[in-house]
Amino acid sequence: MADVTPLESEVAGLIVETLDLKIEPAHIEPEAPLFGAGLGLDSIDALEMSLAISRAYGYRLRSDDPQITETFSSLRALCSAIARCRTK
Amino acid sequence: MNTLPLLGPADPDAVMAYTEGEPYTRAQFLAQVIALANELPDRPAALNLVRDRYHFLVTFAAALLRGQTTFLPPTRAPTALAGLAQRYPASYCLTDGPETVEGLAAFHYLPADRPSQDLRIPEIPSEQTAAVVFTSGTSGVPKANQKTWGALSTVARRTAARFGLTDPPAVTVVATVPHHHMFGLETSIMLPLQCGLACYACKPLFPEDIRLALQRVPAPRALVTTPLHLRACLMERPTLPALAFILCATAPLARAWALEAEAMFDTRVHEIYGCAEAGSVATRRTVADPTWQTLDGIRVCRDADQDQLEASYLPRRVPFPDRITPLGVGRFLLHGRPAEEVNIGGRRTTLADLDHQLNAIDGVCDAAFFLPPDGQALVTRLVAFVVAPDKGREEIMADLRKRIDPAFLPRPLYLVEALPRNETGKLPREVLSTLEQTCRRRSIDGG
Repeated sequence: MADVTPLESEVAGLIVETLDLKIEPAHIEPEAPLFGAGLGLDSIDALEMSLAISRAYGYRLRSDDPQITETFSSLRALCSAIARCRTK
Repeated sequence: MNTLPLLGPADPDAVMAYTEGEPYTRAQFLAQVIALANELPDRPAALNLVRDRYHFLVTFAAALLRGQTTFLPPTRAPTALAGLAQRYPASYCLTDGPETVEGLAAFHYLPADRPSQDLRIPEIPSEQTAAVVFTSGTSGVPKANQKTWGALSTVARRTAARFGLTDPPAVTVVATVPHHHMFGLETSIMLPLQCGLACYACKPLFPEDIRLALQRVPAPRALVTTPLHLRACLMERPTLPALAFILCATAPLARAWALEAEAMFDTRVHEIYGCAEAGSVATRRTVADPTWQTLDGIRVCRDADQDQLEASYLPRRVPFPDRITPLGVGRFLLHGRPAEEVNIGGRRTTLADLDHQLNAIDGVCDAAFFLPPDGQALVTRLVAFVVAPDKGREEIMADLRKRIDPAFLPRPLYLVEALPRNETGKLPREVLSTLEQTCRRRSIDGG
């Protein structure tokens, strides 16, 4: 398993808890896709995650953000977006 | 032959759609539709996969003009699309993106501006099958529900009359629902075509998207949405611009949420009840009254111990898909769906159909879906139990992903040695509930 940053393991925990995934947060590979083949998340999950991220980090996700596809591509990409845009 | 105009009465210079660029007027829209109608392949029907709402409006209207039926895909899962292609080999696939459907000729729509001229509004035969909406059956083959132009137009006009939308200034619809679903088609496509409303071309998802979309269109604005998106907005509390009303459908909205939404966004919240078989059927203002009032011209009748819907534009009576209590003329109480039906984030199917899809996968010996009771999450997801000695979980999930809408994918899929079927081969809900608790404990203990 690749090294994970403290933020990555925190967000992995948030994903598992928010989406009730019934897996261990440490099982989310930081570079693996979150949607489609990887964890298999969909737009309802994206909506749930956006609420949780907004509550925890004050970062409001937008679909028309040109980087949104990149943001949701993996745990690592999501965490770097959170690190960049968080207000709390 | 009875006909109804493609466009209802409205100023040709009024806006038809707000896009990310310049808005399009109704005259510009009509010029684009007429030009495209001449370019479409000479085939009887189009499987429309177009994603942009304005592009859909243009392609749907152009197909109407050519006398073609638009198929609305129930999902974009490749196996489901290939199944439609096999069933309707004479149709073609209409896209505005890179998608293709195995076995179908493709027509790629390239938006092009056309000079608007003083064009006569075309008439469309009322009996023409304008659209086919697919609903899940129980055997893996979706049921085709044909919508005539007359039926779609009539429902649009009666919906507009119910909400007083016929008078200027025209309302602009911002919809979080897809135009490929019946409710999205009726509200974000048919209301603009028939009743002079404008639409917003994008489909906002996140609360911040909804706020920005509403800000980009002028007042009066209406938000067309689902309980799921509305609840997300209640949790996020975005500051929305003035809203004429919120229209909510796809699942019943709790009164408490409607109250909170009316207070938070200083607007009225109405719900529409409908089904793919009959379209929009009834409305209610959730905070004021739990009973539903049918749209004009729809009658609730009882036939062979079953509640049915009747309307002049429906070819035959439609059985109520939900259990109801009739309360006199045009009013009823809704009690919900039979237990074997599933509604996840507004997408509907049956457990029987999902079981069929799962059991059809190579190497799966036995399998069943189960919907656990509601928990903390916005949406409760399905779980599945699978007996497949020679297959891994990932392999089965990959196969399933090609067959069913992502909303219905199991969370999680448990591999088991056998299903606890009773002597008649059935799997009672209580038995599956116990199995789910056992599997969950085992997966947590096992790490």
